Amino acid sequence: MYNVAEVNAEACVAQKGCRLCIMYCPEANCIQLDSQNMKAIIVESRCKGCELCVVVCDAAKHNAITMVAR
Amino acid sequence: MANRIQINKEFIDIMPQDYLDLVDSGTFENPNRGWKDFGTATELIAEHSLCAGCPESIAFRHIMASIPNPEDTVMVGSTGCTSLVFPMIAVHNIHSLFGNQNAIATGLKRALAVRFPDRVKDVIVLAGDGATVDIGLDMTLQSWFRKERFTTICFDNELYANTGGQESGLMQKGFLAKMAPVGKRFEKVRLPEIARESGCDYVAIMTASKPSLVEKVIKQAVLIAREIGPTYVQIYTPCILEIGKQSMEGLQEMRTSEAPGERFKFREFISPEAQSFLDGLAEKKKAEKIAATT
Repeated sequence: MYNVAEVNAEACVAQKGCRLCIMYCPEANCIQLDSQNMKAIIVESRCKGCELCVVVCDAAKHNAITMVAR
Repeated sequence: MANRIQINKEFIDIMPQDYLDLVDSGTFENPNRGWKDFGTATELIAEHSLCAGCPESIAFRHIMASIPNPEDTVMVGSTGCTSLVFPMIAVHNIHSLFGNQNAIATGLKRALAVRFPDRVKDVIVLAGDGATVDIGLDMTLQSWFRKERFTTICFDNELYANTGGQESGLMQKGFLAKMAPVGKRFEKVRLPEIARESGCDYVAIMTASKPSLVEKVIKQAVLIAREIGPTYVQIYTPCILEIGKQSMEGLQEMRTSEAPGERFKFREFISPEAQSFLDGLAEKKKAEKIAATT
């Protein structure tokens, strides 16, 4: 079992210009911006499960990312 | 010089997808590249083997997004956690022996000037605090004394993280590490001040908690090194394992250490020549903006 981040598309506010998780993810090309729907998407094979995106998202009170077991 | 980064058509079917993405949407030859490309463009750094949540990899990402012209940049690395990342970056790089990274960069910069007299070539040294301050202090200082025109970036994690936590010159006084149980008896080496006195034209000390600030500092440091003289940037990248933090606490650790009065509060020193150069750049940019709107 391995924990990876998952974005709740309804709660994600990337269309308003938020890039917090994309900015602070330590892994390159791991959190991408879906430019059609303007939502953050996680590339699960690159996610190491550090939860930093959850911390920055929760600190901004968006609460759009959770950790799920894979 | 457009489209210098191309792929041979014969190779398209056998190259990995990551490589094709890099050719397709990597931010080469883009003068306005910066952290804003995150999420939409392919980054010049790929899956590396640093720990989950390592602040050093955040700093590395921000730096790779900020260097002004990656296609004409050569980076020089040294032994340490950074040497786990250097094989995974899309910029020419040299792995030096432990400590002599600034000496190698000196020779490289001179050789590039002879080999490519009509092209701008940047050299960037990126090493940990052990390589910069302890083992390679001689080479670091000598390159500044000689006013060699390249940028030195030091990832300061305040100990030898890769080998289990031994004491380093940049460790703070009194700090207890796993392999330094007595606690450090001396003050943290004040390398930014030493750099200023040794002839660096631009010195900055900071953490990697703000990508916009990292971008601004790295761009300034590289441009000044290109035209004026040596530059030095010291970035706090705490080792979360060695200071006993969880993987998601690295960012908060950096923010705490850069609060007013703390040891990594953002400071920069700009020499008068470098300042007039930066003013000239800002004026040029302003004029271009006005020309674009009218």
